[in-house]
Amino acid sequence: MSNHSEYAKPGEYKPIDLLAVAAAREVNDGDIVFAGTGLPMLAIMLAQQESAPNSVCIYEAGSIDGKPVDLPTSVGDARCAHNAALAAGLTETFYGQLHRGYVDLGFLGGAEIDMYGNINTTIVGDYSNPDKRFTGSGGNPDILSMSRRTVLIMVQEKRRFKKNVDYITSPGWRIKKWPTGEFVPKQEVYGKYFRGGPSAVITNMGVFRFDDEGVMYLDTYHPGFTPEQVKDNCEFDLNISRVSGETVPPTYGELDLLYKVVDPEGIFLP
Amino acid sequence: MAKTQRVTLKEAASLIKDGDLLTFSGFTIWRRPMALVYELVRQGKKDLHLFEVNGGTHTEVLAGAKCVKIWESCWVGHELYGKLGEMIAREHCDPDSEVVIEDYSHAQVVARLLAGAYGLPFMPTALSMGTDILNPEYDMLKKAGLRDGSNPKIPKNKYVMHHDPFYDMGEVVLIPAVNPNWALIYASMASESGIIRMNSQTYTDPEAIRAADKVIVLAEEIVPDSYMRREPTRNMAAGYMVDYVVECPWGAHPTGSQGFYDVDADFIREFYAASKTDAGYEKWAQEWIFGVADHAEYMEKVGLHNLEKLRANTVLGYSTRMKRGSR
Repeated sequence: MSNHSEYAKPGEYKPIDLLAVAAAREVNDGDIVFAGTGLPMLAIMLAQQESAPNSVCIYEAGSIDGKPVDLPTSVGDARCAHNAALAAGLTETFYGQLHRGYVDLGFLGGAEIDMYGNINTTIVGDYSNPDKRFTGSGGNPDILSMSRRTVLIMVQEKRRFKKNVDYITSPGWRIKKWPTGEFVPKQEVYGKYFRGGPSAVITNMGVFRFDDEGVMYLDTYHPGFTPEQVKDNCEFDLNISRVSGETVPPTYGELDLLYKVVDPEGIFLP
Repeated sequence: MAKTQRVTLKEAASLIKDGDLLTFSGFTIWRRPMALVYELVRQGKKDLHLFEVNGGTHTEVLAGAKCVKIWESCWVGHELYGKLGEMIAREHCDPDSEVVIEDYSHAQVVARLLAGAYGLPFMPTALSMGTDILNPEYDMLKKAGLRDGSNPKIPKNKYVMHHDPFYDMGEVVLIPAVNPNWALIYASMASESGIIRMNSQTYTDPEAIRAADKVIVLAEEIVPDSYMRREPTRNMAAGYMVDYVVECPWGAHPTGSQGFYDVDADFIREFYAASKTDAGYEKWAQEWIFGVADHAEYMEKVGLHNLEKLRANTVLGYSTRMKRGSR
C-alpha cells in the first residue's frame, strides 16, 4: 500500500476527486462554513476529516454544526442534523448565522460565471422570455453576498465562463447598482455590510482566484492541462500571467478518506 | 379561541378555493403535504397562487396539473433525483404561458414569510443586493399588471430600497410581508388539541404556520395532548394556531419525514422523467393521482415492500436499508 501522504499519479484519480480535494484545501481550520449540496458537502466533510478538524458546517435548511455519519444527499436531509449543535431552520441559518456575520466560508456551485465572479443559476437568454430555466437562486446569492470568502465549484466550459452572464443570480466583485443597473464594485452596494466575496473558483481544469480589482485569474492548472487550454475554455480574456504552477494532486490518504469515509455509498462520487 | 377541527383529506382539500394563496411546510423534497397536494389535483383546483420558500416535487405536481397561476419562490427541483423543476421551467420559457413566475433569493422569501409571521408589514435585509433579482425590469407581477392593489395578497412593490435611518448602515432592501390564505403543513406529530411537533430541522414551518390566515395540518400521527405538554420546548405551535388536522400516515410520501421515512428516490426519479413532457405528466397523473381513489389506495399501490425500504431506523431517524448511491 502506498504512503498516505504521497501524491497520486495521473490516471490514479478522477477529475471529481481532484475537485473535491482542491475545494477541501480552501477550508481553514476553525472556519464556519455554509455549504450547498453535492461537491461542497464532499469538500467540507473531507476537510473536517483531515486538514480542518475544527471547522463547522451550516446547511441552509437548518442544521448547524452537524456531525453526519452518513453522507446527506441534500441540505434538508435528516442526515445533516445528526449529532448537530442545533437543528433549527432557515431564519436561523440565513439571519441568525449568515446575516449576523458568523460565516467565514461559503461553498457553492453555479451554471455560469463571469470574470468578476457573478453567478447565474436562473436562466439562459432573456429573463422575460428565456431559452432555458435552471433551478433558480436558492441560497446561492445570499451565501455569496455575506460570507467572508466563497469558493465556487464549476464545470469548465466556454459557454459557462462568460463575458457577461445572462442573469446575475449571485453577486461577485462588480455588481449592478439599482435602479440604473450600472456596474460598480461590490463594496459600493454593500457599504458597511461588505464582508468579502468570491475567493476561489475550482473547475475540472484549474483553480482561479481574484485580483485587487475583483478580476479572475488562473492560479493553478490541473495536471494534464496547460494554462492556454484553460484560457481557451473561457469566453472572457482570462489572465494567465499570474499562474503559480500545477494544482497539487490528491494524496492516497485523501482518496482513501473520500471513497471509504466520506462517500462510501457512491452518492456523488462514481 | 377556535378549536382545531378533525377533517378528512377530501374535506381539507375542499376548503381551498380557486385563486387562493398557498404556502407549504417542508424543504425541497422533505416534509411536504403530498397527500393533500394530490387531492387538490383530484379536485381540479385552478389559478392557485403559490408562495414558497422553495419548491419541490409538490410544486411540480401542481404545476403539471395546471393548478398554478402565480409562483413566487426562489428554487424548484428534486435535489439529487431530478435536477430541474421541468414544469415551472417550461412555463417560464413558454411565451404563451399565463403562469407568472416571480423570483426572489432564498433569504428574501424567508424575509417575506418572517414579516408575515410576526404581523409586520415588511422585513429589511442586506442579503442578495446587486443582483438581477432586484432588476426592476424583472418584476413579473408588475409586468402582469397585478401590483395595482386590487389583490390584497399581492404587495404593491416587489421590494423597496431604503437608507438605514438609525445607524447609517447604508441601503438595505425592504421585503414585503406575505400572509397566505392557507398554510398546508405536514407535521411529524399533532396532538388532539392541535399542538404541532416536527422532528429535526424546522425549515420555515414555524413561520409558515404563523403567517397564514388558516392552517391545515396533515399529521403523521395524532398523539395524546398530555404527551406533547410533557416537553413543550420540542413543540412548534399551540393548538389554537391550527384550524384543521388530518391524520395521514405516510402523508409526505414520496418526500421524506425525519424519524418516519426517507425520501423515495426512485419514485421521484420516475416522476421527474415523466415531467419532462406534458404527455408524460398526464400519463403519470392518470396512474398515481386519478387512478387511485384516495391515499389508502395510493399507499397500496406504492406497496409494502417499497415502504419498508424507506422506513426510518428508529435510532438514526432515516432509512439504512435503501441503496442510495452507485456502490
